[in-house]
Amino acid sequence: MAERGGERGGERGGFGRGFGRGGRGDRGGRRGGRRGPRQEEEKWVPVTKLGRLVKEGRINKIEEIYLHSLPVKEHQIVETIVPGLKDEVMKITPVQKQTRAGQRTRFKAFVVVGDGDGHVGLGVKCAKEVATAIRGAIILAKLSVVPVRRGYWGNKIGPPHTVPCKVTGKCGSVTVRMVPAPRGSGIVAARVPKKVLQFAGIEDVFTSSRGSTKTLGNFVKATFDCLMKTYGFLTPEFWTQTNFSMTPFQQFTDLLGKPTKGLVLEAPTETVEA
Amino acid sequence: MAEEVHLGLPGPWAADYREKADHYTTKIGGVPDWPTGDMGIKPETLQCSLCGTKLCLVAQVHAPVAKLIIEERVIYVLVCPKPECGPKPKSWKVLRVQKCRNAMQTEGSGDELGQSNGPSSSTSLLEEQNDKNKIPEINDDDFDLDALAEALEQAATLASNSKKKNKSKHANAPVKRPVLKEQACDLSIPVLPCFYIYYDKELYGGKGTVGSSSSELVMDKEIMNTTNDEEEKWEGEKYEYDKAIGADRTFLKFKKQLDAYPQQCFRYSYGGKPLLATTKLQDPGTCRLCGSPRRYELQLMSPLSYFLHEAGDGSSNYAPSSWTWLTVIIYTCSKVCLILQFPDTEV
Repeated sequence: MAERGGERGGERGGFGRGFGRGGRGDRGGRRGGRRGPRQEEEKWVPVTKLGRLVKEGRINKIEEIYLHSLPVKEHQIVETIVPGLKDEVMKITPVQKQTRAGQRTRFKAFVVVGDGDGHVGLGVKCAKEVATAIRGAIILAKLSVVPVRRGYWGNKIGPPHTVPCKVTGKCGSVTVRMVPAPRGSGIVAARVPKKVLQFAGIEDVFTSSRGSTKTLGNFVKATFDCLMKTYGFLTPEFWTQTNFSMTPFQQFTDLLGKPTKGLVLEAPTETVEA
Repeated sequence: MAEEVHLGLPGPWAADYREKADHYTTKIGGVPDWPTGDMGIKPETLQCSLCGTKLCLVAQVHAPVAKLIIEERVIYVLVCPKPECGPKPKSWKVLRVQKCRNAMQTEGSGDELGQSNGPSSSTSLLEEQNDKNKIPEINDDDFDLDALAEALEQAATLASNSKKKNKSKHANAPVKRPVLKEQACDLSIPVLPCFYIYYDKELYGGKGTVGSSSSELVMDKEIMNTTNDEEEKWEGEKYEYDKAIGADRTFLKFKKQLDAYPQQCFRYSYGGKPLLATTKLQDPGTCRLCGSPRRYELQLMSPLSYFLHEAGDGSSNYAPSSWTWLTVIIYTCSKVCLILQFPDTEV
């Protein structure tokens, strides 16, 4: 985890188009070194069938998982498949509960992960210790990585840079509306959702929000919900007939249909002297 | 409050998958080591109820019950080696072999494998004995959990030896054992790759984390302070349960326990509570012999099927490659019953 802090510090200059101020960056960098000797970083033993396929390298891009809407249950899947995933803690707030013996304080961590190129995830975790909350939030954020669709404002010159259409997302009382913007506009949004949009890889967008945006937890979730909806919007490009393909599970079962070696697993046949 | 949970962690691979051990060994795969040579097991018991193929051993667990001072008790988990039968609960069987103090007896009794389905599958629930949490997209049909395991109880007059062999090598490193063991004579039984198990106790039940060092605490304070300087106050936050797009809370807790010991092959906790991966759970029912309710004893975990899958040669006929279960929960008779039968007497 020390590498993670270091690389994030290094990326900070290159990644941002006006990205994060120094103070917040330092915070991320310092946190990286804290991991220390927890235990040896144990190798990932996949639990689900999808995890097994990913570990073997049969699935190279996360788009194959999205195409078939396969639920991603292990965060290591996302770590393996999406290279260049960076994370940042947006906020840690104390959350209190009144008990007979006083107040019980827990910490709630908001973490956003993204590769700056169309994949973003948001994780929220409450825990009794800050470190646990951050670690748990990073895992949850990786589990919830979604693709973000980008399009053009006008001429289709160069790579897509903005949202393809007007989309709106809602969480609690906060609604966030994103409107395509011409190249060079930058992200016109409040500081908090701007970070999520930068991690998503959107370069230009106009936003407008409504509701109690003071509840920044809901504000961030509404922005994330909005980004999730970009691929849910049916535009004329999708009017053509879908060619359904086999899910990775089926695909690889058929691949394994080699001529059979027989039903019984045979032990090595050399003779054994007892 | 909770019973202690013992984890079965992978030990060394067997040099020969068919080598014999004794019935005190706990192992995965290989040939079942019956306590006495001739167990008088009916051949149908050792056949798949769906296709009739001979079953192969998945796990053999030496499971004495300390409270009732039953030392000689072994649980065998068997499965059909055909890939088509693998995902269906009916192809699994569990046998419980127990020593009766006095005479030689053969007995059949039923042990259940409880089964539950994956979160997104909404199959109908029938009488199950197998509890498997499956990946939803693979298993669309609800399994007719009829895979009752028949427990064979047989009296054996062997003296009890030391119970578990402690081997602490990694399952991934094949090890050439210096002493070559005897091969099982019956070569017609299908066999899965074999490795031995050593036990470890689970610490904290997965709840505790490594305590923060003082440097961590200092950095936590710094994080809190810098964030408090900002103009925005994040107001109105309340406790929130874990949520992920593809996984629900139960699965996230299951995964957390697994991540604490990523190599655990099975969890043993006599009379404890199983670690569930989904919330749906079928009722294990009652023991077929004595009618007393069944209690949870052990559950097989997914790293086991991963290790077996890795050890396979990639052929399409290899059953563990088609397994998609998350966990297999095994319930046994809570009274550890042993009903004596005298098959050949005239009286």
